[in-house]
Amino acid sequence: MKKNRETKYWRGLSEYNKSDKFKHAVNLEFENEVETEEEGKSLISRRQFLSFLTASAALTAAGCSNYKDKGDIVPYNKKPEEITVGVPNYYASTCTGCAENCGTLIKTREGRPIKIDGNPDNPVNKGKICSRGQAGIINLYDPDRIKEPLAGDRAGNYAPVTWKSADDKIIQALNSASSTGKEIAIISNTLTSLTFKKILADFKVKYPSANLYTYELAGEKNFINAFKKSYGINNPQGTEFVIPSVKLGEAKVILALESDFLNTGKNRQENIKLFTENREVITKEKFNKLYSVEGNVSLTGLNSDYRIKLKTDAIEEFVLSLLNEFIVKKSSLPAVTKFAGQQGIEQLLSGFELSQFVKKYSLNSETINELVKDLESNQGSVFVSAGFMLSESTHIAVNLLNEVLGASKLFDFANGFFVLQENSTDEEIQKLSGNLKSGNVSVAVVIDSNPVYHFAKEYGFAESLKKLQTSVLLTEFLNETAHVCNYVLPVSNNLESWGDYKVRAGLLSLQQPVIYPLYNTRQRETIFLNWTKNDITDKQDYFLNYLKENWEKNFYPALNSGTSFRDFWTKSLQDGIVVTQDKVNKSLQFVNESFIQNSGKVKSSKDFAVVLCRSYSLGDGKFANNGWLQELPHPVSKMVWDNYAAISVDSAKELGVDSNDLIEIAINGNKISIPVFVQSGMADKTIAIELGYGRTKAGKVGSDKGFNAVELISKTPAISPWLYNNASISKASGTYELISTQEHYPIDQEQYKDIAIKRGIVREATLDEYRKNPGGVIKEKKIDGLNIVQFPSVNEDHQYTGVKWAMAIDLNKCIGCADCTSACNVENNIPVVGKDQVKANREMHWIRIDRYYSGNSSEPRATFMPMLCQHCDLAPCENVCPVAATTHSEDGINGMAYNRCVGTRYCSNNCPYKVRRYNYFNFRNHLADGHYEQDSVSLVHNPEVTVRSRGVMEKCTFCLQRVMGARQNSIATNTPLKGSDVKTACQEACPSNAISFGDMNDEKDALQQFRKHKLSYTVLEEIKVRPNVTYIAKIRNNNGNKNKA
Amino acid sequence: MSVHKEMTLVTERTSFQELDNVVFKPTESKPTSKWYISMGISLFALSLGVVSLGYTFYYGIGMWGNNNPVGWGFDIINFVFWIGIGHAGTLISAILYLFRQKWRTGIARFAEAMTIFAVMTAGIFPLIHVGRPWLAGYLFPYPNQHNVWVNFNSPLLWDVFAVSTYFLVSFLFWGLGLIPDIANMRERTTSGIKKFFYTILSFGWRNSNRHWQHYEKAYLILAGLSTPLVLSVHTIVSFDFAVSVLPGWHTTIFPPYFVAGAVFSGFGMVATVLIILRKVFDLEHIITKGHLDKMAKILLATGTMVGYAYGMEFFMAWYSGNTFEQFVFINRAFGPYAWSYWIMVACNVGFPQLFWFKKVRNSIPIMMAIVILVNVGMWFERFVIIVTSLHRDFLPASWGMYAPTMYDIGIFIGSFGMFFTFVLLFVRVMPSISLTELKAVLPGSQPSHRHHE
Repeated sequence: MKKNRETKYWRGLSEYNKSDKFKHAVNLEFENEVETEEEGKSLISRRQFLSFLTASAALTAAGCSNYKDKGDIVPYNKKPEEITVGVPNYYASTCTGCAENCGTLIKTREGRPIKIDGNPDNPVNKGKICSRGQAGIINLYDPDRIKEPLAGDRAGNYAPVTWKSADDKIIQALNSASSTGKEIAIISNTLTSLTFKKILADFKVKYPSANLYTYELAGEKNFINAFKKSYGINNPQGTEFVIPSVKLGEAKVILALESDFLNTGKNRQENIKLFTENREVITKEKFNKLYSVEGNVSLTGLNSDYRIKLKTDAIEEFVLSLLNEFIVKKSSLPAVTKFAGQQGIEQLLSGFELSQFVKKYSLNSETINELVKDLESNQGSVFVSAGFMLSESTHIAVNLLNEVLGASKLFDFANGFFVLQENSTDEEIQKLSGNLKSGNVSVAVVIDSNPVYHFAKEYGFAESLKKLQTSVLLTEFLNETAHVCNYVLPVSNNLESWGDYKVRAGLLSLQQPVIYPLYNTRQRETIFLNWTKNDITDKQDYFLNYLKENWEKNFYPALNSGTSFRDFWTKSLQDGIVVTQDKVNKSLQFVNESFIQNSGKVKSSKDFAVVLCRSYSLGDGKFANNGWLQELPHPVSKMVWDNYAAISVDSAKELGVDSNDLIEIAINGNKISIPVFVQSGMADKTIAIELGYGRTKAGKVGSDKGFNAVELISKTPAISPWLYNNASISKASGTYELISTQEHYPIDQEQYKDIAIKRGIVREATLDEYRKNPGGVIKEKKIDGLNIVQFPSVNEDHQYTGVKWAMAIDLNKCIGCADCTSACNVENNIPVVGKDQVKANREMHWIRIDRYYSGNSSEPRATFMPMLCQHCDLAPCENVCPVAATTHSEDGINGMAYNRCVGTRYCSNNCPYKVRRYNYFNFRNHLADGHYEQDSVSLVHNPEVTVRSRGVMEKCTFCLQRVMGARQNSIATNTPLKGSDVKTACQEACPSNAISFGDMNDEKDALQQFRKHKLSYTVLEEIKVRPNVTYIAKIRNNNGNKNKA
Repeated sequence: MSVHKEMTLVTERTSFQELDNVVFKPTESKPTSKWYISMGISLFALSLGVVSLGYTFYYGIGMWGNNNPVGWGFDIINFVFWIGIGHAGTLISAILYLFRQKWRTGIARFAEAMTIFAVMTAGIFPLIHVGRPWLAGYLFPYPNQHNVWVNFNSPLLWDVFAVSTYFLVSFLFWGLGLIPDIANMRERTTSGIKKFFYTILSFGWRNSNRHWQHYEKAYLILAGLSTPLVLSVHTIVSFDFAVSVLPGWHTTIFPPYFVAGAVFSGFGMVATVLIILRKVFDLEHIITKGHLDKMAKILLATGTMVGYAYGMEFFMAWYSGNTFEQFVFINRAFGPYAWSYWIMVACNVGFPQLFWFKKVRNSIPIMMAIVILVNVGMWFERFVIIVTSLHRDFLPASWGMYAPTMYDIGIFIGSFGMFFTFVLLFVRVMPSISLTELKAVLPGSQPSHRHHE
C-alpha cells in the first residue's frame, strides 16, 4: 500500500522523474539559505548583522557613563596600620583660624579630614568650636588654594616657579638687604606660636635688619593698652605678659557696654559656656542678670535681660556717670573707699550726674535705677565688659568701674590671657608704612595675612609693596596683597601643619597635621627655617624635628613629666594640650593716675556715630572665600553674603532712606557707599558696619561680596579706629539688594505684633512669674475642657517599644549663634546655594535659628529658636508623599529615602515647620561655575551621608548615620543601645549645651528631665502632629515690660 | 394646558445635506489663512513651552519660582486650572445628556474634545513638576524589585488614578460618540489616506439598526460612567489641598467648591472658544445665541456658588476661632498678594453677576469679555489658594514670597499652545459638532404627532 501511494502522488516533475537534484534535496534536513545575491559577494548575513548589532549595542552601552557612577572604588592594596575602612580616626590639634587658638578634635575617614570639633580635653573651649573653626575645613579642599609657588608680575598674573628658584632669589634679596642695612619687614597677624617666635628670632640673628610687625584688623589693642595702663604693666616690647581672664560663671550681674562677648568678643567659647551655665532651670534654678548698653544691636544685646540702647560714643559718659553715682555719691560699696575723696578722680567725675545723663539720652530711669541697685547689691560678683571698639579711655574708666564694684575678685590669673608678643603699636605701624614709602625697606615678607586689605588706603601698603624690589607673601589663597607681591609662596593649611600655640597661662596647645599636604606647599615655619639655614630639601617633617627639638630642650625639662620625652610627646600630641604651672603675678593694683590722665575725653556728638564691628562669619576677611560661612545667616539680621550699614528706624526716616538704599558715609575724608539695613533696636544716630566684607580678590566664591568698611578706618582716629562720631551721612543714588533668610514683616502692626508669642511658638515668662507659678508659664490649649494634645486619635497609634529618639532644646541657653547650623552643614554635606538662591528662599540649612522679635520696633526683645525637623509621630509629610519616600523608622525617626524621592515637594508644603529642604538645582554645580563640584571638594564630604542629587527633598535626619553607628556598635559589643550613645552634630557643636538628645522611652535617660519639666512644650502642638523636639520656655530675668521711661 | 416651548436649537431650517456640508467643510476644504495664523501662534506658544521645559529638565525645578515655603507655584496652579477646564465637557456631554437637555447637542462634541485636550494638558503638569521626571514612573503602582509600593494615603496618588481614569473614560465617550459621524466622513471623502483612517476609526459602522441600538446603549452607559467623574475628579484634586494640615488648605468645603469652580471655569473656556468658532466656521445658526444664553446662566449659577464658597471660607475662619486660619484669610485679602485675591473675586463673583441681565447674555462682545475674565479669575483662584496659603503659614520665621520666573510663564503659555494646537487640529480632522445628534434636533425632524398644531 505504502509503496503504491508513494508512486501515486508526486509533488513535481523532478520528483516524478526522480532527478538527482530532487534526491539530494530530500536528504537535506534544511533548505539552503536563501541567497539574495550571488555567492561570494560579501553582503552581511543575518547572523553577521545580529552579531554586529549586539556588538555595537554593547560598545555603546560600555561607552555611556552612568550619572550615578562616580568612578572606581579601589580597595587598599596594603592596608595602612592606623586606618580601618569605615572607622573614623580622631586627632587632637589646634585651630589657627584666629588668635584664640582653640583646641580641635579632627575626624578623619580613610585619611582625609571630614569634620572639626572642639577638643573636649582643652580646658578653655571644652569640646566646642565656633562656626569658622568648623566650616574652615572646606578651606583645605578649596579649589582656589595655591598649589605651587608663584612669581607675580604685580598686575594680577602669576607664573609657577620652583621652591628652589624662589627661595634662592629671596635669600639673595635678604642677604643684600642685611648687608646694605636696609630693613626687612616681616608683617604678620598676632603671633601666638612659641616655636615660630623662636624661628623668627633666629631669623633676625641671621638677618639683623629684619623687624617683625604684627597687627589685627579688629584687635583688642585698646583693651590691652588700657589694662596695662590701669594696672601698671610695663613689660618691654616683644616680651610675654598675662592679662587675667574673668570668672564669668561667678558673676551674678553682668553689664555689657557695646560688648558682644557672647559672639564676636574675645574668648567667645568660654564666655558662652560660663554665661549660659547660669541660665539654668533644669537641674537647679540659677539665673544671672545681663544688662546690655549698646548702640549697635549685638547678639549679646539681644540675649540680655535689659537692653538699654545708647549711642556708642556716649558710653564713656555713661561709665563716668555710674562712677559718679558710686564714688562721688559715696555708695556703700567697700571698694569705694579706695577712690572716694581722691581729688583727681572726684574732679573728673564731678560733671557726670547719672540722673542728668538719663534725662539727656531719655533712658528708662527705672531700668537704670535697677541696674545701679543690682550692681551695688551684688558687688564682688559683678562684671562690666566693654567692647573692643571703645576707646582706651573708656576701657580705663570701665576698669575703674570694675574695681569699684569689686569685679577684680573675679579675675582668673591662672587661666589668664597669655600675650606672647604684643601687637605693634600704631606708631610702629606708621613707621613701617613710612619706611616702605621712603624706600628704607627693601624686602617685605607678609605671613599669612593681608595688609593691603586690612589697612586703610592712607597707609599706602598697596603702592609701596608694589614698588618694593622683593615683596613676598606666604598664603593659602591669592588675595589683595598677593596682587602687589612678586613672590607668592603657598603655605600649608591648618590641617596640614605642625605647631605649638600659647594663648592662655598654664596651657600649651599642640597642632598636628591630619593629612599630608595636598599640594606643593610648605608651612610658614619651614619657609623661614630654610631662609635662615638654607639647607633643607622639601621634606615635610623638617619642621617637625625642629619643633620636637625645641620642646625637648626648652619646655620638656621644666614640666617634670616623669616620662621620657618620646612618651611625653606622644601623649601630648594625643591630648592636644599640655598643662603647665606658670608663675603669674596675682595681684594687680589699679593706678588712679591712668584714669585721671586718660578718661573723660570722649564726648558724644550730635553727628552720626559709626561703629565698625567684627564679623562673626568672616573674621577679618580671611574666611571670605568660604561659602558655608558666607551663607551662615547673621545671628541678628539673618543676612547672608553681605554686610550693611545698620541704622535705627527713626534715623532712617530722618535720612529718608529705607533698607537696600545706598548711603554715603564720609569720615575724615574717607568715603564708602553702602546699603542701609533698618535694624530694629539700633540707637538713633548710630550706624554699625561689620568689617571683613568687600574683599576684591578673595577667590571665586568670596570676591566682591559686601562692602569694605576698612576704608573708613582713619590713621589717626579721634576716639578709636573702630568708633567715630563725626560721620557725615548722605543718601547716595541707587539701591543694592540685601538678602536675608528670614522675611522682615512690620513688627509694629497689630497683625504681626508679638505674633510668635500669640501663636504659642515661643513661650516666655519673667523669672518672678516663673517662681510664683512654675506650672503657669505653659498654658495648655484646650477645646471643650480637653487638652488638645490628648484628643483621642482616630487611628490606633503605633507603639514604639525600643529606643525612640527625641530632642530637647533649652531656649534659656540658646543664644542664637548658629554654630549648630555650621556643624550640621559639615556633618551632613549641605550644599552652598549662593545669594541668588537664598533670595529665592532656597537655602538648604537643616537646622535654622528662628529669631522672633517682640515688643516694638524701636526696642525689640528677641527670642531665638533653633528649628529643625521635629520628627513628628504623626508626621504630616509622610502621608502625603505619593511614593512613600519619607517614612518613619522603628526608632521614631522620620526618614528620607533619597533614591525613592521623585521630588513632588508635597511633603514640604504640608510641613507646618517648613524645615524640609529641596534641591532645586544641583547646587554644587550651580554656585560659582561649579566651584564646589570640583574633585578636591568632594573629599570634604562625610562618606556616611548621601550627597543628594537635584530634584530630591532632604531634611534633618537626627544624624541618622550616628544613630546607626551607635546601633552597630551596640550590636557588636552586645550592650543595650542607650540614648546617651548618640550625640547629634548640632548637639556636639552647641557652645551652650542647649541641645539634648536621647531615648524618650528610657525613664533614666537625661532627656526625661527636659521632657517632664514644667517649662517644656512642643511647637504647634494643637495641630497634633506630635513633634518629638521639646522646647524649654525662655525665662527672662527682668520684670517684663513694666519699666516705663 | 400650558405647553412648554423648547428653545429652537437650530435657527434656520437646514437640510441634512446642508448641515453635512457646513459641519464637514473645515475637514474637507483647504485650511484658511486664519487657521494657519492661529496654528502658527499656537505652535509658537507651544514651542515656548517646550524650550522652557527643556531648560527645566536640564537644570532642574530651580528654573521656576518655586521655593521653600511655596513648594508649588505655576506647576500645580496650571494643573488644577486645566483639569477644571475639562469639567465643562463632561458635564455637557454626560450630565446634560442624562437630563435630556437637547440644547447640548450643538456644543457637546466640541466641549468633549476640549475636555480631552484640557486633561492632556493638565496631565503634563504632575509629570513635569516632579524634581526627577525620569522617575515619575514611581508614581504608578507596579510590582518591582525595590519591594516598594506607592503610598495609597497620598492624595497625589489619588490624583494619578483620578486623572488617568478621567482621561480614559472621557476619551472612550468622545471616541464612541464620533463613530457615526466618522462613518459619514468615510463615505464622503475622496482622499485615500483619509478614507483609510476614517475606516479604521469608524469601526465598521454601517448605520444599521443594530448598530444604532448598541450605540445608544453604550453611549448611555458611558454617560452614566462619566457622570460621577465630573464630581469625583475635582473632588480628588481638591483633596490635594484639603487633606493637608495647612491653614487655607485644610477645609472641608473644598470638594464642592472645587467642583463648582471647575464647571464654572470649564464653561468659561468652552464659551470663549465657541464664540470664536461659531464666527470663524459660520456655525451661528447651529451654535445659537440661545446656547450662549444657557451657558451664561450656568456661569452665573456656578460663579455665585464659588462666591458663596469664598464667603463661607471667611466665615469659617472667624467661626472656628482658629488664629492661623484667620490670619491666612486676612492675609489673602489684605496681605502682599491681596491684588490676586481681588482679581479673583472680581472676575469670578463680580462680573458674572452681569449675566442676570438678558441684554448682557445676548451681547456677544460683552459675553466674550466676561468669559475671558472668568478664565483669568479661575486661574487666579488657584494662584490664591496655592500661593497665599503657602507663603505665610504657621511659623513666621519661615515665611517668604513667591514670584514666577520667565520659565514658569513660558510653560504656562506653552500649555495654552498645546491646548489650542490640539483644538485647531481637531477642527480640521474631526466633525466638531455631533451631526447625528444635531440632525435629531433639527426643526421638523422630530416625530410629530400633530399635538401642537
